[in-house]
Amino acid sequence: MKKIILFGALLGVATFALAEDAAVIDPPMEGSVTVQQGLDAWSRIHDVVSHPRCANCHTGPSDRPMWSGPSFGAPRQHGMNIRAGESRMGLEYLQCSSCHTTKDENWDNANAMPHAAPRVAMGWALAPMEAHWFGRTAEQICAQLRDPEQNGGRDMIELAEHLNHDLILHWAWAPGGGREPAPYSLQEHVDDLLDWGVAGMPCPQD
Amino acid sequence: MSRIGTIARRTFLIGTAAVAGGVAFGTYLVKRPTENPLLDDIADGEAAFNPWVIVNADRVTLIAPHGDKGQGIQSSQAALIAEEMDLEWGDFDVSFGMPSKAYWNTAMAGDVAPFMSTDESRRAETVRGIMGGIFKIVGLQGTGGSTSMPDSFIKLREAGAMARETLKLAASTRTGIPVADLKTKGGAVVLPDGTALKYTELAADAAGLEPVSGTPLCDPSRWRLIGKPMERLDIIAKSTGTLDYGIDLVVPDMVHATVCVNPRQGGSLISYDATAARDMTGVLDIVEVTNGVAVIATNTWYAIQAVNAVEFEWGKAPYPPEQEQHWEAVEAAFSEGSLDSEWRNDGDFGAAIGSVIEGEYRSPYVAHAPLEPLNAIVHVTDDQVEVWSGHQTQGMLVDAVAGVTGHSADQITFHNQWMGGSFGHRLELEHIKQAAEIANQMRGTPVKLTYSREEDFAHDFPRHISMGRARMIIADGKVEGMDLSIAAPSVISSQMGRAGLSVPGPDSQIAAGAWNNPYDIPNYRMRAYRAPELAPVSSWRAVGANAAGFFFDTALDEAIHAAGADPLDERIRLMGHDVSRKVLEAVGEMSSWGGELGPNKGRGIAYVESFGVPTAEVVEVTNTEAGIRIDKVWIALDVGTVVDPVNFENLVQGGVIFGLGHAMNSEITYSDGIAQQSNYHDHEAMRLFQCPEIEVRGLENAEHIRGVGEPPVPPAAPALGNAIFAATGQRIRELPFNKHINFV
Amino acid sequence: MEVRVNGNTHEVDVSADMPLLWVLRDELGITGPKYGCGIAQCGACTVHVDGVAVRSCQLAVGDLAGGEVLTIEGLGTPDTLHAVQEAWIEHQVAQCGYCQSGQIMQAAALLDRTPAPSDDVIDAVMSGNLCRCGTYPRIRAAVKTAATKLQEV
Repeated sequence: MKKIILFGALLGVATFALAEDAAVIDPPMEGSVTVQQGLDAWSRIHDVVSHPRCANCHTGPSDRPMWSGPSFGAPRQHGMNIRAGESRMGLEYLQCSSCHTTKDENWDNANAMPHAAPRVAMGWALAPMEAHWFGRTAEQICAQLRDPEQNGGRDMIELAEHLNHDLILHWAWAPGGGREPAPYSLQEHVDDLLDWGVAGMPCPQD
Repeated sequence: MSRIGTIARRTFLIGTAAVAGGVAFGTYLVKRPTENPLLDDIADGEAAFNPWVIVNADRVTLIAPHGDKGQGIQSSQAALIAEEMDLEWGDFDVSFGMPSKAYWNTAMAGDVAPFMSTDESRRAETVRGIMGGIFKIVGLQGTGGSTSMPDSFIKLREAGAMARETLKLAASTRTGIPVADLKTKGGAVVLPDGTALKYTELAADAAGLEPVSGTPLCDPSRWRLIGKPMERLDIIAKSTGTLDYGIDLVVPDMVHATVCVNPRQGGSLISYDATAARDMTGVLDIVEVTNGVAVIATNTWYAIQAVNAVEFEWGKAPYPPEQEQHWEAVEAAFSEGSLDSEWRNDGDFGAAIGSVIEGEYRSPYVAHAPLEPLNAIVHVTDDQVEVWSGHQTQGMLVDAVAGVTGHSADQITFHNQWMGGSFGHRLELEHIKQAAEIANQMRGTPVKLTYSREEDFAHDFPRHISMGRARMIIADGKVEGMDLSIAAPSVISSQMGRAGLSVPGPDSQIAAGAWNNPYDIPNYRMRAYRAPELAPVSSWRAVGANAAGFFFDTALDEAIHAAGADPLDERIRLMGHDVSRKVLEAVGEMSSWGGELGPNKGRGIAYVESFGVPTAEVVEVTNTEAGIRIDKVWIALDVGTVVDPVNFENLVQGGVIFGLGHAMNSEITYSDGIAQQSNYHDHEAMRLFQCPEIEVRGLENAEHIRGVGEPPVPPAAPALGNAIFAATGQRIRELPFNKHINFV
Repeated sequence: MEVRVNGNTHEVDVSADMPLLWVLRDELGITGPKYGCGIAQCGACTVHVDGVAVRSCQLAVGDLAGGEVLTIEGLGTPDTLHAVQEAWIEHQVAQCGYCQSGQIMQAAALLDRTPAPSDDVIDAVMSGNLCRCGTYPRIRAAVKTAATKLQEV
């Protein structure tokens, strides 16, 4: 029980040490990225956030994670009637961590087994409700990401740092078990995020 | 029997039944008594009155020779003996016994005879008797076909009565009181003055007596156990994690093994590279088995890790590699040259007049996937072999091991184990042969083979695929005719072929669930066509009736709807068998059939007879925005006599869930010759949140007792499909249904 | 390394990435937790780690980090049954019984946290445990009986 409360407190405020594969946060000079370049960067960001490795756990108001992507056929709700609850960690039902156990920092080879529950060196959880990506348009996701009210009050640098700290996100590029990784790389994704930020966070609907 | 064989069996008896001096009884139930295997090991003062009862100074041991896969047959068989012996419930030991011809399955034989189970004509009964004689000579000791209770019901009560009367005779001899003045109660012979002589006290005396046979059985009105709820003998162990299944057993100095065999089942091993695997933690050895490789390690997990690191080059599958080709082969079998049998030709379908509707139906490969993966411990020495595993056909297992190691059957001891489910999976012998192959290469060291779940799925030998084509004729609001053709590979030939046996004649399982339904459709033609063997298949809980029952009942439902008739009323009108009609009426009454339903709801009814049990189910569903929800199921069935109403209800509910769950979402498909489904994530069947309320009624109008393991399964799929049609207007003619509709 | 199971400390010499399930079964001879799928699909291996239900096939023994493991053998014995086990016996839940160790451990963890679970909560929590025999109606009923028993204590 203690562990669970601890994980709950850590939700969204990851304090784990940086993983070895952490990206370098080196934003371009102010004014060096055009709006068009920013939109191009956004398009690549969207490729990532709409990818099943990311979107499956960004289900917004629904507390049900999704199973979608090449290994699943038609998208469907996470099997076993899994509900993450308001805690987003399943505390009210079956804890995510009952199956998605918490690995030590050396989790590189932890997910080799196909179709097993992915695990990293932090408590598994559904993304916060505001970060609603699954089934949403690029415009909607873009608007959400640049709105401090809906992105955890983060600026561009803080968003990039969040990417570095949240090991579940790192898993998206090293999912193991024959799963398709998210496109590009963590570093490219961070670079795109910084480019998009320096360009003024343009969205397709602007 | 050789000396060493005798020692081995004695070790077994002491180990499982703790026998130390007593009696065993020879069988007197057939004209020429079969050998009583218990007499081989009988000690002084120990009585084995027949192959099912041993009494010694310490305890009473009952032999329940059928495999217990979870159906609770050990408890039910013990109840039959204990009823006649006047034993207190649970005041005895039970053992699975050993492989022996004495335990041949009398009922399985009767079901092989090609007569409808509702046919009680002299000719049908005569042929069943002949088949029974053949099975007796072969000594087929098997568990399957829902036959355990039919096989046991009289035989084991007679065994109990024989033991009781012999113990009374022993008491009479000792006391001089006439047998007629003696009674039995609570595991003792009671003298007129109330003195109780425990059976255990009388064992040594009874051992010297000729067992008493021919005593009439206790009148059903006086049954203390049969028909009453009983606490299953295994329930405490199964609720406390203290029951050892085969996979839990440990033998001293045992090593652990797992295998990876060509997933293109029956394909060869061309080459492999185990360089990396050999250096992995815990690996002791890597050896070849037929078409694959085994890793022997210090624990199961190391073995599984290492076998996953072996690189293989596999040979081609001995069947078409792609699923679509399997369907094409089945479709091509709808031709005169492939006709297996014309099972029914009632009336004159060709001359029937009315409007015609047609349907084509499909039923996929489906895995058994019991939760305990296949496993076996085998210990081979130059002089003997010991095997520990949970299996449905003990004698065939011994033959299979003998074929691998070269030992004679006398040198092989098999200890049957509790099974974590089977559904037909533990009829297979491949894993037993592989364990024997490994142990034979490591003589002197016991080897425990455990399949990974993935290996188990790759070699499940699933339920066969099948296609049905139906033409129905309706006139004046009635069903006037049905012409149903079914094409499928033969399960029996595939399964028996792997055991080196060939079965002549038509395969009744291609058409089971369709040809034997006792409807009087005025013009009914039913033909079965045999497709070539494709992927290797085996008996899956209820076998042929799953596919054929789905085709028949769905087609009938389509015809009834097209005729504008009521699905229940029209089935009752067409039904030509009283016991079955009462089952239909019962399920109608239970479900208040015909009443008002809420919005978006629909109900379907289905009737399928399998293994002699008429079974009718009503399923109610709601068509929600997210998909179909199964709300409630009512089921009525007639097994003649319900031995344990609690276990009966549990098994029936489980059968309904098994039928519904796989119909919803489960199939095995092949690509590149390999099953594409590897674990429960993509072959899920039903989970708890999808489980409807299930109301069960067991009727007892049928003359013969029948087993309940399989019959609840086949009607579930058509009843669900018929309910989906009622709720949505969508008629789904292919399983699993989730290829066409979502479930919540 | 040391592992704490059912109040006892065991010394085991295995790879840190070996799943707890196999350490329990093959190294310590604690076979109540069952191997069914190896990928958190069946729940037959469920144990408690510091009171939380965990699929022991998914927890590397090296990640236990001093956590206290409780298996069904430690929950209750045939002589000293836990209320959940009593309920399972009263309702005659088991058929083959292979999944029931996991079902019982999951139910016990649920009732620890949620003494009077609604049908919705039972359906959400218990659906991670697969039963191939189809004992679900009895599992539902037994969870409710166990909840009542525990509240009466």
